[in-house]
Amino acid sequence: MAKKWSQLIRNWMSQTMDLPPDVMMDLPRITMVGQIHIYIENHRGLLAFSDREVRLLLEQGQLLVKGKAFVIKTILPEEILLEGKIDQVIYINE
Amino acid sequence: MKNQWINGLIGIVRVKVTGRGVERFLNQLTRNEILIWNVKRHGTQAITFQIRLTDIKKLRGPARASECKIRFIERAGGPFFLQRLWTNSGFVIGAVAFFALILILSNMVWGIEIKGASPATEYQIRKELDDMGVKIGTPQFKVDNVDVIQRELTDKVKALTWVGVELQGTTYHFQVVEKAEPEKPELYSAQNLVATKKATIVKMFVEEGEQVVELNDNVKPGQLLVSGLIGKEDEKQPVAARGEILGETWYKSQVELPLNSTFQVFSGEEKRKYHLNIGSATIPVWGFGDHQYKEFEQETRDYRLKLLKWELPVTFKTDTIREREEVNRTYTEKEAIKRATDLARKDIKNQLPEDATIKGEEILHQSIKNGKVKLSILFQVIENIAEGQPIIQGDEDDSRFENNGNPTS
Repeated sequence: MAKKWSQLIRNWMSQTMDLPPDVMMDLPRITMVGQIHIYIENHRGLLAFSDREVRLLLEQGQLLVKGKAFVIKTILPEEILLEGKIDQVIYINE
Repeated sequence: MKNQWINGLIGIVRVKVTGRGVERFLNQLTRNEILIWNVKRHGTQAITFQIRLTDIKKLRGPARASECKIRFIERAGGPFFLQRLWTNSGFVIGAVAFFALILILSNMVWGIEIKGASPATEYQIRKELDDMGVKIGTPQFKVDNVDVIQRELTDKVKALTWVGVELQGTTYHFQVVEKAEPEKPELYSAQNLVATKKATIVKMFVEEGEQVVELNDNVKPGQLLVSGLIGKEDEKQPVAARGEILGETWYKSQVELPLNSTFQVFSGEEKRKYHLNIGSATIPVWGFGDHQYKEFEQETRDYRLKLLKWELPVTFKTDTIREREEVNRTYTEKEAIKRATDLARKDIKNQLPEDATIKGEEILHQSIKNGKVKLSILFQVIENIAEGQPIIQGDEDDSRFENNGNPTS
């Protein structure tokens, strides 16, 4: 309950005080360059990696990236740069 | 992505990880702040990625904890490149050595060719060249300039009229013109011997001819000494009068010698500096530091380096700095007179032919004025005063004709 409350407060703060939501709410920030690059910030770790699929843990739920010929160009604790041909970016909420 | 080229300098290792839970292993690595890039999957079990060489040790902890196996499959970048360079250094060294060798060999004397000289002169020239340091195998920058060689050769080898010295590549070419010395006539034509100088005759060796003068006779220049006409009064035969007439002659010589004199001499101390001039830049090669000489003379020799047939824009410069000293020479009067006499004697000897001897000397006058010794010396010299004078044939024939004609008429 407390977590939800904090989420709600943060949401409200970002809306009323015009603060960037990714900072306030630990949301992933995803930057894509066409189909070839995807840059994801604020992830919480790599769950699965193959050349057709990458599964990332997020603060809430998971992010599934599907495509072909994936190569992780860089991986840092909270950032990942993926290269290849990206077909789908799917949020999985449990 | 950070500066990849810095990683390149540090060294990059490609790691292959096989086993289950490679993703967890990757997460572990990123949490340990190990930089990972180019992660690729190979099949279901294996992934490969690249890390920095310095991070290799940090790999160990996470690897132990996980169920994965690690292999290093590729090494690249700085240290590995250097290592490869080191193992292949033979080639580089070889290439450098080759060029160095060519450079050295291109700047050596490889041949000395002498043209137009008789074998004797050629031998003499070769000997002189040897003394001068022009030898096969000496580096050319140690050898004097072509002009200097030419001058020294003409000075030292008497038989040379002219010698052209040319340096073509690594070979010295000498074009020699020898003095055409007239051969001494073996057979003399009819001649008399006459006196060349005013002298008193001391000794006579007459080989042929009729002696006209006696010992202790005073003769004047041009006076007949040995007649080339021998025989009876009526039938005189012309022959080549030969012989040596030694006469005592007198030479007067005047010398002046200062008692005190200062000289500039080299003390023998010298310093050599070698430089390489490339364009306008000068690189000292050997001989550093300044000389401490108060008075000195500097000699500079430039030598243009060559590679095969090309001249390089590189000059090898040799500076020789010789210390100069001022020396004061002081003679006592006695010494001065002795020195002056020696000088005079030397001077006279230079004027005389080689077979002449100085029999005696006499100081006629001697004075010391203004710190100078003035001597006037008379030298008594024994020398050959005879000189051939041809008997003119025409006169002979005429006289013979007359002689022959007399009985018939």
